[in-house]
Amino acid sequence: MSRKSWHLDRRTLLRGAGAALALPWLEGMTGRVLTPRALPKRLVVTYISYGAYMPTGPSGITDLSKPHHDWSWWPCRDPGPLTFNKSSQPFAALKDYVSYLQGLDHAGGHKLGGHSSGDVFATGADMANLEKTNNISIDQVAANTHGKKTRYASLVLGTEGGTGSYGHAKTLSHRGPGKPIPSLHKPRDIFDRMFRPYAGRQLADVRKELASRRSVLDIVLEQSKDLDRKLGKPDQRKMEEYLESVRDAEKRIERIDKWTHVPMPEVDASGLRLDVTAKQPEDYMRCMYDLLFLALQTDVARYATFMTESEQSTSHEVGNYSNYLLGYKGNTHDISHKRPKDISGRWDQWRAKQHAYFLEKLRGAKEGDGNMLDSTVVLWGSAHPHQAHNTQNYPIQVAGGGALGFAHGKLHRFVGSDKVPLANLFVSMLNAVDVPVTKFADSTGPMTELRKA
Amino acid sequence: MQAMPLPQPIGIPLVVLASIFAIRAPRCQEPVEPTFAAVAQPFFATHCVRCHCEDKQKGDISLTAFTAGPTTGKEAEQWELVLEMLRSQEMPPEDEAQPKEEDRIRVANWIDRELKAFVASEEAAGSGTTTRRLTNFEYHNTMRDLLGVDLQLTDNLPEDPTRPYHSNNTAEFLLMGLEHLDRYGENARRALASVIVDPTPPDPKKTRQSWAVAQQRGMPDPTNMQRDEIGVFGNRNRTVANGMRVFEWPDTGTFRIRVKASAILPPGTNEMPLRIMLGHDIVGVGVSGLSPALSVGTLRLTNRIDEPKIFELTGRIENFPSKPEHRYRRGGRIDGRLVITPPHFTVTPVNVYDDGTLNDRPDPLTKPRAVVEWMEFEAPVNNGWPPAYHTRILFDSPLRATDEMAYLRAVLGKFLPRAFRRPVTSEEVDRYARVYKLVKEQLGLKTLEESIRETLATALISPEFLLHTNGRGHEQHELACRLSYFLWGSMPDDELFELAQRGQLRDREVLAEQAVRMLADPRANDFVANFATQWLALDKQRAVPINLERFPRFLHTIARGERRGQEVPNRPTVRETMQAETIAFVGELIRRNGEVAQLIDSDFAVLNQRLAAHYGVAGVQGHELRPVAVRPEHHLGGLPTQGAFLVGTSTGTAPHPVYRSVWLREAILGDHVSDPPADVPALEESAGEEAANAVTLKDLLRIHRTKQSCRDCHARLDPWGIPFEQYDATGRFAPRVAPAGTRISGFDPNRHKDLESYGSYIAGLATQVVDATARLPNGPKVDGVAGLKRYLIDERLDDIAENVTRRLLSYALGREVTYRDRYAIAELLRKAEPNGYKLKDLIVSICQSDLFAARTNK
Repeated sequence: MSRKSWHLDRRTLLRGAGAALALPWLEGMTGRVLTPRALPKRLVVTYISYGAYMPTGPSGITDLSKPHHDWSWWPCRDPGPLTFNKSSQPFAALKDYVSYLQGLDHAGGHKLGGHSSGDVFATGADMANLEKTNNISIDQVAANTHGKKTRYASLVLGTEGGTGSYGHAKTLSHRGPGKPIPSLHKPRDIFDRMFRPYAGRQLADVRKELASRRSVLDIVLEQSKDLDRKLGKPDQRKMEEYLESVRDAEKRIERIDKWTHVPMPEVDASGLRLDVTAKQPEDYMRCMYDLLFLALQTDVARYATFMTESEQSTSHEVGNYSNYLLGYKGNTHDISHKRPKDISGRWDQWRAKQHAYFLEKLRGAKEGDGNMLDSTVVLWGSAHPHQAHNTQNYPIQVAGGGALGFAHGKLHRFVGSDKVPLANLFVSMLNAVDVPVTKFADSTGPMTELRKA
Repeated sequence: MQAMPLPQPIGIPLVVLASIFAIRAPRCQEPVEPTFAAVAQPFFATHCVRCHCEDKQKGDISLTAFTAGPTTGKEAEQWELVLEMLRSQEMPPEDEAQPKEEDRIRVANWIDRELKAFVASEEAAGSGTTTRRLTNFEYHNTMRDLLGVDLQLTDNLPEDPTRPYHSNNTAEFLLMGLEHLDRYGENARRALASVIVDPTPPDPKKTRQSWAVAQQRGMPDPTNMQRDEIGVFGNRNRTVANGMRVFEWPDTGTFRIRVKASAILPPGTNEMPLRIMLGHDIVGVGVSGLSPALSVGTLRLTNRIDEPKIFELTGRIENFPSKPEHRYRRGGRIDGRLVITPPHFTVTPVNVYDDGTLNDRPDPLTKPRAVVEWMEFEAPVNNGWPPAYHTRILFDSPLRATDEMAYLRAVLGKFLPRAFRRPVTSEEVDRYARVYKLVKEQLGLKTLEESIRETLATALISPEFLLHTNGRGHEQHELACRLSYFLWGSMPDDELFELAQRGQLRDREVLAEQAVRMLADPRANDFVANFATQWLALDKQRAVPINLERFPRFLHTIARGERRGQEVPNRPTVRETMQAETIAFVGELIRRNGEVAQLIDSDFAVLNQRLAAHYGVAGVQGHELRPVAVRPEHHLGGLPTQGAFLVGTSTGTAPHPVYRSVWLREAILGDHVSDPPADVPALEESAGEEAANAVTLKDLLRIHRTKQSCRDCHARLDPWGIPFEQYDATGRFAPRVAPAGTRISGFDPNRHKDLESYGSYIAGLATQVVDATARLPNGPKVDGVAGLKRYLIDERLDDIAENVTRRLLSYALGREVTYRDRYAIAELLRKAEPNGYKLKDLIVSICQSDLFAARTNK
C-alpha cells in the first residue's frame, strides 16, 4: 500500500467539531507540500424529501411570467447569475461555489410515486419497469473504481438508518440490483466504525482473526459450489447471488487486512456530541454533517451519500422535525401536500441552513492551494418538486468541485428542447473524480453547462 | 398519444361461472371453427380496439397485436386479464355499447380454453425460482427454534422489501448482499455466545428494593398517592413509579423479575394492567435514546390491597438495551460537583390502565392504582448448569473426555441436520470438523466451547442454513419445511422431521393432521400476524398523523412542557391495539374455522377496554384482547369496520375515500389498482376554482371525476370508498357530520372547557347525515358500510374467497401466483365452496394441494 502524501501522521490529532480550524496546522504536520495532483477527489450526494416549496411553478419549473417568490426553493427566477431569496439565503455566502439546475430528473423515476422516487435519486434506475430491484448508485460506481485508495470505499449515512424496502428506501446507496447498502444513522456507531474499527484490540489479534475468517469463508465457498451444482438454472442464480456476497466478504477481509498496516488517524471525539439523537434535530443534523466532514477530511472515505430524510419518514422522529423546529401542527410530510405559506419556506430554509453548514465547513478547510470544497463535488436535492406525486423536474443544487472542473454561480434551466437527463450530470460528476464512464443510467452524454471555460 | 394507465383489475375469475358456462356452451352451438380469427378478432374489432390499440393502449393493453391465443407467458398474462374483464363485465365500460351476452360468453370461453391448453403445454417450464433467503421474520424464528433461546436478532438486518397487500417472501425480491452476510455473521456469534455457555456457572446477581409503607390506608385515599403506588399519571419522584435501578447484571442469560403487587380499584373496575419495562430510566424527561426501555410483560392485577400477590416475569437480558446511557441525576450537583449516575438498568412498572379518557386529565385518584410492595431483579437464573439449550447442542457424553474429534462429529451430526433442515452427509460433517480444527489453531482457542461457537457460527452463515432450496433430492424434508415456514414461519419441529425421515409426509391424511396440529400451536400466531399484516397492509395506519385538535382523545399525549402534544411513551397505544385487533380477529376466525364471509361481517369484534371505549362498546374491562359479541347498533363486525384499516386509509383528519377504495379492491376483492400516474394534478388543483367551495373530499372527487382524464380511473374507484364515509379518520362510526361550510374549531381548553364538552360541541355541529350511498361500478346502489358488506357477501363472495386463497397460496409458496396457477386455484375453491369457504379447511387443503405438496422445483 503506497502511502499517499495527504495521509495523516499517526500522531496527528483532530478535534471533532473544531477540526476545520485545525487543518492548516495539520497540513504543516505532514511536513510535505500537497500538490494538486495528489489531492483526493471526492463526491457526495445528499437528499431532502417531500420536495420543496415552489409557489410559482409547483411542477418544478419556475413560471417566468410571475415575480420570483421570496420563499421559493429556487434562489432566483431567471437563468444566469445567482441572487438569493429568503429560502436560499444560507447559501448566499457560497455564491461562487453553487449552481442550481432546473428541469432535471431521472426518467426511471417518472412512473414511481413521489414516495418511491427517492429510491432512484442516486441510481437513475428504471424501477417501474426494467430494474425493479434498483441498480448501482453513483457513489458506488466511484467506489468500485477508486475505493481501494481509502480505508472505506464509501460512507453511507441516513437519518433513519437501514435500507428501507423497495419504494421506501432509507438509503441512497446501492451496490447493484437488490443490494441496497444500509445507511448508518447513529453518530456514536458511525464514529466507532470510522475511527475505532479494531475496538481497542491488538492489531496482531485483529489480523489473526481476519486470516481465520478468510479460511472459513473459503470452506463455505467450497461447500456452496457443491450445492450450486445440484440446483436448477433459476435457483443457481439465487445461489450465485449468495456466492457473490461471500466473495465480496472475502475481498473486504483482504482489504481490512491491508489497512491494518496503515496507521489510523487519531481523532478526538470530545468536540462532537455523539450521543445526540434525532430528537434534537439541529444538533443531530450538525453532528451527522460533522462526521461526514471528518471522514472526508481524514480521507477515511472519499465517496459518501447522506439521506437527510427519506420519503417515508412519517413513522420516524425525522417526520416530526418541522413540529419541533417550527411548531408545525402535523407531520413534516403534510407540508408537501398542504403547503402552508408560513411554514413551507421556513422548512426549506432550515434544511438549506444545515447543508450550507456542511459546505462552509468544507470551504473553511484549507487543502493544497485551495480548500476542501474545491475538490469535493456535492449534489443536493430531492426526487420531486412540491406537487403531490409529481416526480419530474427535481430541485437540484451542485456545489464545489472548482478544482475538478466545475464552474458555479448560475441558475441553469433545462426546459423544453434543452432538457437532458439528470444522469448527464452524474456522468460529469464521475468524470470529475476520475471515473472514466461515458454512460450512467439513461444519460445521453456529459453535462457541459457546468464545465469551466 | 396520451397513455393513461387504468386500474387493471386482475384475479377475479368467477370460478363458479366458469364451470356453469362450460356446461352451457356446448360445442355444437359454435358452427364455425373456434379460432382467433373466427371468435376473438371480430369481437375485439367491434368492442375493444378503439381504446386498446397500438396507438392508444389504455390500461397498457393493446389487442391489435394478437393473432392467436397465448403463445408466450407474457401474452398469457394479458389474455388472462382480458378474460377477467369479460367475465366480470368490467369491460367494455358501462357507458360504451355492450356486446351481446352470448358473444361475450363465447369469447370468454374460447380464451379460457386457449389459456388452459397453453398452461398445460407449458407445465414443464416451472414457475420460476423459489430458492430464496429466509425473511427476517423467518430468520428470527428459525434461530429461536434451532438454538432454544429467543433472541432479538433482526434489528441490525436490512429490512425485507414490502409491498402493500403482498407477502414479503417472494423469492424474486429477497436478494442478498454483503451487508446481509456481514450481519448474519455478527448475529450468529452473538447468539452462540448466549447459547454455548462456559462450564463454570455464573454468579446470579440479585437486586431488591422495597417501597412498603407502614401506615394503613383506606380507599379512596383522601390525600395523595403513597410512595408505593403507581397512578396512571401524577406520579412523583422517589416513588416506586420511578422504578428500581439495577447496577449489576450479566451480559447474557435469563433474568427474572418478581413483583409483589396489588391494585386499588375504584368502584366499577375489577382489574388493571401493570406493564413492567426494562431498560433506561423512563420517568420524567426520560426519552434520550431511540428505544429507551422495552416491555417485559404486562401483569393483570385483579387482587386488592388486602391480598397482595407475587408476580413473576422472565426474559433474556440480551434483548434489552445493553448499555444504558450515562444520565444526569435530576438536580445532579452535590457540593458544586456534577454527579453522574453510573450505568444502570431500570425496572419500571407502568400503570397502563386506559379507559379512553386519560387526556381529559381526570384526578388520578379516581383511576385504578397499583401498589407495589417490593420488586426484585435477578440474573442470570438457571435451572441447573449448563442450561438445557446448551446441553441440547453440547450434550453429555463419555466421548467428550476421551476423543475430542469423535465427540465433535457427534455434536455436528446432531446440530447440522437441524440447522440445514435435512439429513447431512458425512462429508458435510467432515467439512465442519475441518472448520473446527482451523479456527481452533488459527485463533488459538483454548476451550471446546470457544471453538464450537466459531464452528457453528460458520454453519449459520452457510447457504444451507440461510436459503430455502427445493429440488435437491430431499423432497420429504423440503415439504416439511414448506409446511413449517408456511404455518409457523420457522423450521420444522421433531415430529415433522420424523415424518419426513419416515417418508410419510406426502400422505394427504398426514398432511391434514399436521396442518391442523400446527395451526393449534402457539407458533401459528406468528403466521397469522405476519400474513395479516402484509396482506391487509396493517402497519400503514401507524404513520398516519392524527389531528389531535380534532380528535383530542385518540392518543394519550403529554399534557405540558416542551414535548406537549407528543404521545406518552412506553404505553400501549390505540394504534398498536388496532393492529393487534385485526391480527387477533383473523386468528380467531381461523381457529373457529370461520367462513370467508365472516371476514366481511361477523357477530363479534376483538376488543380490550381501550378499543371498546374508542368504538363505543360498554362493559369491556382489562388490557387483553378477546372476542366480544357485538350488536347492530355498534356498527362493528368484519374487517371493513376495523380501525387498523380505517385509520390507515384516512388523512388523520378526515376519511379518504380513494385510499379506502384501493384497500377494498386490492386487499379484499383482489383487484390490482395502478398507482396514480405521475403527471396527475393534485386533487385540489384539478378542481380548480371550485376547490375553495368543496368542503369534503367526496366533493373534491366529484369535481375531479368530471375531468375526462381523471374520470376513467376514478369512476371505477371512488364508489367503493364512498360508503366508508360513515367512519371517521379514527375509525369510529360517525353517521352525521357538520354541514358543508361549517367552521369546526379544534379543541381549545379556553373555549371548550374539557374534552367532554368538546365532544358535545362536535356532536352539536354534526347535524347532517353523511351521504354514504354510491352506485358500485357494474353493481347496485349501496347505502353505507352495512349495505356494502351485504353486497360483498351476497354478490362477491366467490371473488373474495378467491382473493384470500391467492394471498394464502402466494404466502405459502413464496412466489407470485400467476395465470399458470389459475386452474389449481379453481380446484381449491371448488372444494371449499359448498361449505362456505371455511378458512381453516382452506389452509389445510392448500397444504394438501399438488401445487404445495407435490412440487419439486416448480
